[in-house]
Amino acid sequence: MHTTMSGRQKAGQVIAHIVMILIAIYTLFPIVFLVFNSFKSNSEIVDSPVSLPTQWSFQYIISAAQQINFFKAIGITFMITFLSVLLLVVVSSLAAWVMVRSKSVLSRVMYLGFTAAMLVPFQAVMYPLLNIFENIGLKNIPGLIIMYGGFGLSMSVFLYHGFIKSVPQSLEEAAIIDGANIFQMFFQVVMPLLRSTTVTVIVTNAMWIWNDYLLPFLVIGNREGAKTLTLELYFAKLTSGQYGNPWELIFPAVFVTIIPIIILYIFLQRYIVSGVADGAVKQ
Amino acid sequence: MEKYYKRRFAPLALPAVILFVMVILLPFVIGIVYSFTSWRGTYFAGGTLFESFVGFENYIKAFKTKKFMDALVYTVKFTLIAVVIINLVSLCMSLLATYIHKGASAYRTIYFLPNLLGGLALGYIWQFIFQIVFSKLLFGPEGVISIPALTNMTQDNTKALFALAILFTWQQAGYMILIYINGLNNIPKDLTEAASIDGANVFQRFFNITVPMLMPSFTIVFFLTLSRCFMLLDQNIALTDGDFGTRMLAMQILRTTRDSSPPNYGLAQAQAVIFFVLIAAVTIVQVSITSKKEVEL
Repeated sequence: MHTTMSGRQKAGQVIAHIVMILIAIYTLFPIVFLVFNSFKSNSEIVDSPVSLPTQWSFQYIISAAQQINFFKAIGITFMITFLSVLLLVVVSSLAAWVMVRSKSVLSRVMYLGFTAAMLVPFQAVMYPLLNIFENIGLKNIPGLIIMYGGFGLSMSVFLYHGFIKSVPQSLEEAAIIDGANIFQMFFQVVMPLLRSTTVTVIVTNAMWIWNDYLLPFLVIGNREGAKTLTLELYFAKLTSGQYGNPWELIFPAVFVTIIPIIILYIFLQRYIVSGVADGAVKQ
Repeated sequence: MEKYYKRRFAPLALPAVILFVMVILLPFVIGIVYSFTSWRGTYFAGGTLFESFVGFENYIKAFKTKKFMDALVYTVKFTLIAVVIINLVSLCMSLLATYIHKGASAYRTIYFLPNLLGGLALGYIWQFIFQIVFSKLLFGPEGVISIPALTNMTQDNTKALFALAILFTWQQAGYMILIYINGLNNIPKDLTEAASIDGANVFQRFFNITVPMLMPSFTIVFFLTLSRCFMLLDQNIALTDGDFGTRMLAMQILRTTRDSSPPNYGLAQAQAVIFFVLIAAVTIVQVSITSKKEVEL
């Protein structure tokens, strides 16, 4: 049976690969296109959008980077993302762990509350949240980090909770007998076992916090010197877009904002894809 | 042992509880209360919170506001179209990826890439593609083939719906295939083999084995696509900025406070509560329907 089918099977494989390569080209096309057009002048972009640039000049990239305060903005974006994710990992793993282990009514109620909150869209809490944070003097970057901590919490607690249930308790008992305190036990015994979930929590949260537009827009807005990359991009387009679209600014600006992500993806793609896949399936 | 953890429960769970109350629970409750008042953002029209209580006035007004109703209809239309397209595309891609013997993970890596980039940045690139590449080079009067339906897609209410769906499918398919591939790989091979020995053809195998066995994946993907489409904001802003009547609900709630002076935060908040109820209702109904169809082996 296999010998008679092999010709047809081979043809099937080839066709499948051709289709998948076409889809891959379609997927990459806008990004390659973005790179090419980051080296062109406005008129060249509009006249011959899909061709290679006549000369690879970096002037548009440099001026776009200056206009969106690239280095400052990337520093701010990195700091916000890093601290928010750190806060999320520590707070949600500790809470999920102690919730699983103590098996009390309270912990079950908390778990229900956290998971129910996943249904609440950001828009439902947006205006009161800003109002509260403004009144307590937190309508700034530290406040923004706390907000991300709150919004990422449900999902992260949920992921950790699901995983910790399958981690045996015996190691922790041994650690206590050896005289470890609760933090030593958690960070040296429990945390290493949660590595795969931690990767998922880091990747999924870092992805949306890094690219988020709405929260920084509401909290920071057009404040000088505090804008994230996405905000800089938004305001650059908004202010220069009054007289038609300035593509020689938009393309290189988008290009420089996605370079860090692409570089990170090239090196960490295995962790990123499997982290996201794990998280998605566990929902 | 349980006692050991119970004694340490409060201090370890407290940070999470504080964050949760501060960022989600308290604003959520306050938001519901404020939606029944004439809240103006920094003050209450008519005096104190109690004096500005207006009952269901904001809700009635929301349903009478043309912009809100238009946004609601537009959001529902977009969600229906995009959910179908994203699911069909990503399911077909996953079937291909599990069919080929080699290289599936390389394709997966490429397809996932758009998902990493921000909706705003992608929206800007696609705006150019729709305005210049589609309208002039490919489908314009002097293009490769003239297809008027595919030109100036960002400047027409109905065409923009499909432009947004194309953009969002391009971005989301790579994520959804991760879930479908995982589901497909979990289907025991002997099931399909037994069926083909019994003489079932490709389509019979697909509809009688693959689809029922894939139900858990359908539950997740439908949930994700439904809620993400319904809450779409960044791409909506970047592609059309709500012009030509293309405002979706998330943008409508954000822009309501700019539509009138003084800003009517009470009305915006009522719209936000309606938004929450809609999302909660739709996703709960969807999850209960699709998970009922899941089969246990």
